[in-house]
Amino acid sequence: MPIVEMKKLFLFAHQQERDMILEFLRDFGAVELVDLKESSAWDRMKDLLEPEQSAEELARLESEVGEVRYCLDFLQRLFPLQKSFVQQFTGAKINLTPQEFADYISRGDQIKELYGACRQIDEKLTNLRNEETRCHNMLQNLAPWAAFSMPLGEIKATARTEMLLITVPVDALSTLINSLQEKAPDHYLDTVFSDKESAYLFLIFLKDEAKQVQEILKEVNGAELSFPDIFETPAEAISSLQEKLVLIQQQKEEEIKKAQDLLKRRPLLMAYFDYLEGERAKKEAVNNFARTKSSFLLTGWIPAPKVSELQKTLAEKAETALCVVADPEPGENVPVLLENSGAADAFEVVTRLYSTPNKHELDPTPLMAPFFFVFFGICLSDAGYGIVLSLLALLISRKLKLGGMGRQLIKLLFLGGISSLIFGMLMGSWFGDLLKIKPLWFNPLDDPMRMLIVCFVLGFIQIFFGMGINAYRSIKAGRVLDALFDQGLWYIFLIGLVALAFPQFAAAGKWLAVVGAAGLILTQGRSQKGLFKKFFSGLVSLYNVTGYLSDVLSYSRLLALGLATGVIASAINTMGGLLARGIVGMIVMIIVLMVGHFFNLIISALGSYVHTSRLQYIEFFGKFFEGGGRAFRPFSKTTKYVEIGEREA
Amino acid sequence: MTGIVLALLGAALAVGLAGIGSAIGVGLVGQSAAGVVTEDPDKFGQTLLLQALPGTQGIYGLLTGFIIMQRVGVIGAGLLDLSMQQGLSVFMAALPIAIVGFISAIYQGRAAASGVGLIAKRPEELGKAIIYAVMVETYAVLALLASIMLLFGIAL
Repeated sequence: MPIVEMKKLFLFAHQQERDMILEFLRDFGAVELVDLKESSAWDRMKDLLEPEQSAEELARLESEVGEVRYCLDFLQRLFPLQKSFVQQFTGAKINLTPQEFADYISRGDQIKELYGACRQIDEKLTNLRNEETRCHNMLQNLAPWAAFSMPLGEIKATARTEMLLITVPVDALSTLINSLQEKAPDHYLDTVFSDKESAYLFLIFLKDEAKQVQEILKEVNGAELSFPDIFETPAEAISSLQEKLVLIQQQKEEEIKKAQDLLKRRPLLMAYFDYLEGERAKKEAVNNFARTKSSFLLTGWIPAPKVSELQKTLAEKAETALCVVADPEPGENVPVLLENSGAADAFEVVTRLYSTPNKHELDPTPLMAPFFFVFFGICLSDAGYGIVLSLLALLISRKLKLGGMGRQLIKLLFLGGISSLIFGMLMGSWFGDLLKIKPLWFNPLDDPMRMLIVCFVLGFIQIFFGMGINAYRSIKAGRVLDALFDQGLWYIFLIGLVALAFPQFAAAGKWLAVVGAAGLILTQGRSQKGLFKKFFSGLVSLYNVTGYLSDVLSYSRLLALGLATGVIASAINTMGGLLARGIVGMIVMIIVLMVGHFFNLIISALGSYVHTSRLQYIEFFGKFFEGGGRAFRPFSKTTKYVEIGEREA
Repeated sequence: MTGIVLALLGAALAVGLAGIGSAIGVGLVGQSAAGVVTEDPDKFGQTLLLQALPGTQGIYGLLTGFIIMQRVGVIGAGLLDLSMQQGLSVFMAALPIAIVGFISAIYQGRAAASGVGLIAKRPEELGKAIIYAVMVETYAVLALLASIMLLFGIAL
């Protein structure tokens, strides 16, 4: 079964070769490192060993990484990298040749200088921005006073008078005027400006009447204003502030230009970042090792097929290295690596999304693959969409280099498109009813009940197959009776029930159902203690028939989704048809058709993928799959920004 | 008002109410899922799967609608002229999936949204989260079965 056999690896070597071996393992990318401190042998080894001293080195690396990351973030903020539409999903990396990469790494001394420059520009820009905000606020406050002709510095008390700038809500203005007339008649009040909300006034009053004036102000919700730093007239202040703003803007542009000069060093930063992260990974990996004064030991997992390659290459590269390969002990937490060949490889995505199989199980991927293929096609069931989907998948796989799950997903979509093409041809659906081609089988819109039966039959097949897998597991584990009672009797019972629906088989069906039910009642409670409990459990287990019923009915979604795609496509065609008047109409129609069908393709493909997956997970996997395994995570080269090309001559 | 109007009203309710329920349920899960993915974008696939679960009722409603449409002739041979009794019978047959679809989808949405919280802390327990949500669906399935059986039992 395509779960790859894992072996345990022990590697001894001399300290001097440690870095070289680590780099080699990283390139090799097929060994998962295990922390020796967690193994059972650690206690016996401890006294022989010296502690690792990589803590300060690690800290230094981390601070360097921090600096590079700061510079990259800074540049990203000012000059964001434009990602094309597809790159938004897959990530954008720059491509470098190995020589360029090596060249960049050698220029590590420039990093400190770059960091200093970035920080300087960043701080300057922040200060400039704060200044700008202050100026804007001041301008806003000064705006109502623009018409006031007295220099603000002259607003001060004289021997017997006080001067104030006040603001009151505009509805209270008349109240203010009247109150002042009454209580402090010797005053000067000038309305400088008023808008819908407030009035802005200049008031001179006698010091002796200060108390009355304050009371009046309080009554009308008036407030004093002052501009302590401004001594010129408001108009002059406003124009000088505006000049200042222009200056700030110029300074900002200068700083941004300085940053733009730094922009051409961005590839250097990206390459160095990935290089530093690699070094950090290596240093962290070393924490998993055990060392003596001059040697070190590492342990890990390696897939069995890779063992000979590792041993051969290691023998060439390292003089002192010694490999010991052992089988995993029972009960050890072995990681799980899936490997499927050919078309089934694409369907690994579906399994991995649900759960990694545990090491005792079989890999359900090749078993699930044909069902997924068929069901996806039935859900999307349009030949035209299938062609477009497959072509798109082909295009994406050529243009972008995707690894791991991305590559498998694209392959899955490609296969899904093929399936959709097949079922589209069978159902006579080419972009809905755009091309009226006769179906090779029948069109579900004409006879939905027949399609529903087909879906139920397919569902039955998959459910029985799932039960069969569970039976096979029991038999392989030596529990033949379990397989007979748990799956065999259910087969008999369910087949009997189905046969009851057909008049010609009704008699046989009745007998089968009765035998099956009796068998189930007698055997399903066999793990319980006490005769009554056994019998009762057996009786209650018949209730599970609703579970099987619900499973089969769940497959009706294949019909519904297939019909939905077709009906939406027809609607789009009808809409397009309405517009086809004259040349302009034809052009609009073509646009409408293209956009509409593309939209329908995306939505239907997404729905098909999700619901088909859901059928696999719940109705199929639910019958036999345990999951909960730990995925294999090899020590390998992962880069964030840079894709290093093939080794050139 | 002839029977055909009632029959079509039944189809409309089957699709509409079940669809509303699914929309609410799926939306609930989407809100939870968005919260989880802010912390861990790798969980997108798993949360998307959980989000799809309450969508079943809308599909079952649509299916019932299709069956009604096919039986009364919207799809295929032209609208039949139904008596009040026939129309009312079709309307009644649509009620189980309409009502149960509506309410069970909302509750399934809540269960799935909680499932999203489950896998946020324990991503390896996706199976259990799915099972909790799917338990609610049993009743939608039973209602679908009832609607289908009722529909096929009406003589048109």
